[in-house]
Amino acid sequence: MELGTIEREIYVDAAPEVVFDVVSSPEHLKEWWPDDARYDPAPGSTGEIVFGDPQGDGMVVSLTVLEAQPPRTFTFRWTHPAGEAPAEGNSLLVTFDLTPSRGGTLLRMTETGFREMGWEIALLEEQYREHGEGWDFYLPRLVTYVDSLMARP
Amino acid sequence: MTPADTELVDDDLWSAIGDPTRRRMLDLLLAQGEGTATTLGRQLPVTRQAVAKHLGVLDRVGLVRAAPAGREKKYRVDDAQLARAVAQLSSVGSAWDARLQRIKRIAEAIQRSQEG
Repeated sequence: MELGTIEREIYVDAAPEVVFDVVSSPEHLKEWWPDDARYDPAPGSTGEIVFGDPQGDGMVVSLTVLEAQPPRTFTFRWTHPAGEAPAEGNSLLVTFDLTPSRGGTLLRMTETGFREMGWEIALLEEQYREHGEGWDFYLPRLVTYVDSLMARP
Repeated sequence: MTPADTELVDDDLWSAIGDPTRRRMLDLLLAQGEGTATTLGRQLPVTRQAVAKHLGVLDRVGLVRAAPAGREKKYRVDDAQLARAVAQLSSVGSAWDARLQRIKRIAEAIQRSQEG
């Protein structure tokens, strides 16, 4: 397993055409992710997604569509600096794969690029595997800290 | 936290722990309670100068705290800041879990309305 990758799978009781529309169209995207989305869901199109109020403490993030093959695959890169072409090392790559299954759709999502960006999502897993004594020592104590941090509004 | 916060804040923090040498240093500091560039340098395959530089990076993002000790500085891990980094790492995965649940809900509602 590539450690810098997030992989998720979920069964959706809807046709692949419907699911594809939900994961790819900006109108639907903002229902499940950002507060606003402006892009054309076609390969090569660059746009942006907006979190919160960009005039305040919100944020505008670039998104570029790489692949759109209804109803099978939708791929985009995001988080690249505005004005820069998306590439490995400056953005995260999200892939949605849709497979017809049991009258519905098996939706598989992968997000990669953390390693290239120095974000090493797999840090914990890796450390667990190496069972470094230091991590064994602090992880039990850490749980309490994390709980208290997550509990804050 | 907004979704943007959980994924996009603290690039510096994430980069700081993205480096294997710095993670090893955090390991050593956690296991031993504290350390200086000299004591850490003895246990790592890098020069004391390199260790000092890495400590500087960790210090800037708040992962370690320095206290003067003679001619050197003694470093300890800041547990709260480390916990914060760990929480952010795990929140990226759970953020996607939540998004996929919403995708499922929306798609299934559309499907039902089309069939109805």
